[in-house]
Amino acid sequence: MASKRQIAANRRNARKSTGPRSSAGKRRTSRNSYRHGLTARLTLSTKRAKRIERLARKIAGDTTDVVLLEFARTAAEAEFDLARVRQVKVALIERLCVFGELDIPEVSTKTLIAHDRAYEQTGVIPPAIDAAATMPSSDPERLAEAVRRALPDLVKLDRYERRAAVIRAWSVRAIKSRTRQ
Amino acid sequence: MSKHRRAQSALLPASPLLITESGDEFDRMRDAFDEEIKPRGIIEQMYVADIAYLSWEILRLRRCKAGIINSAFRHAVDNLFAQVTGSPRGQAYIMEGMGQSLGRAWFSGPAAKKQVLEFFSDFQLDESAFEAEAIRSSAADLERIDRLLASLESRRNKALRCIADYRGGFARQLRESSNRIIDGKVLALEKPSSKKPSAVA
Repeated sequence: MASKRQIAANRRNARKSTGPRSSAGKRRTSRNSYRHGLTARLTLSTKRAKRIERLARKIAGDTTDVVLLEFARTAAEAEFDLARVRQVKVALIERLCVFGELDIPEVSTKTLIAHDRAYEQTGVIPPAIDAAATMPSSDPERLAEAVRRALPDLVKLDRYERRAAVIRAWSVRAIKSRTRQ
Repeated sequence: MSKHRRAQSALLPASPLLITESGDEFDRMRDAFDEEIKPRGIIEQMYVADIAYLSWEILRLRRCKAGIINSAFRHAVDNLFAQVTGSPRGQAYIMEGMGQSLGRAWFSGPAAKKQVLEFFSDFQLDESAFEAEAIRSSAADLERIDRLLASLESRRNKALRCIADYRGGFARQLRESSNRIIDGKVLALEKPSSKKPSAVA
């Protein structure tokens, strides 16, 4: 167990590290755990909200039951979330087909110095490594390679797809049991 | 697809496809599922669209799996060549000028392919050895694809079960409501007759 002196020292030290103080720092750290925003409910766009509401009304039928309508809204939202994750998957694969990589390669100081030296010696700027050039040229192989390179992200996205599918199935079950009452 | 079903499908979000994929082919697959399952109502339509898309993704991944193995073939031939040339008999072939990439030669034409096979036959290696090496070298990626495939297949099966459950529930619900209607009618029919004796009394 910590002594009183140790506890006091811990408290003193903790006061020294309470995170950023400037508003810019706070803004930056507020996005520390942000990864892709796929779990966020994006019903803010009016067009999307309208489409979800239309689908929810269709699912709920001519009901006046607000609870049932709410379940229908959850199912409709999950349906659109599923489509969004699938859209992201397709966009990633297509980007990889074109560029061969998803991240812009970071140029280290070492590489910059090496490039500078090469330019001084030869007068020619050394070409950057083109990830797209490492992709196969024929279509089926190019797609296979793009999917292979996208695999870590596809595995992560699969989790979100499953989550949306579970929410939809749960909502449909709730709708069914509600209509049976 | 009927007009009604088309109108219902319009409410659902579009299924995103790759630029290289054929929309017509996807529609044909979707129609085939529609024909087979004959969805009733928007919820069943939702599940059928899901099943069609999941099946499409399964096919896409299976094709990619084959593509990944094919792409690894060249390196597999080169790897085997490196292993073979490490042996004393292999050194002799290097001396004969066979040092160029056999992996590249494999894909350059049937004659070169035959030559590569003849070279490896001296070491009791054939095409199956290249395939095994290609699979071995891309095992990590293939495992990930298999995991994704398993997830897609399980979700497709779950969607099929959901339709069955929903239909079961729907049928039960129809039965119950029709029973209620029949009971109501029976009661309504019984009421005047039950009143009669009291009226008489």
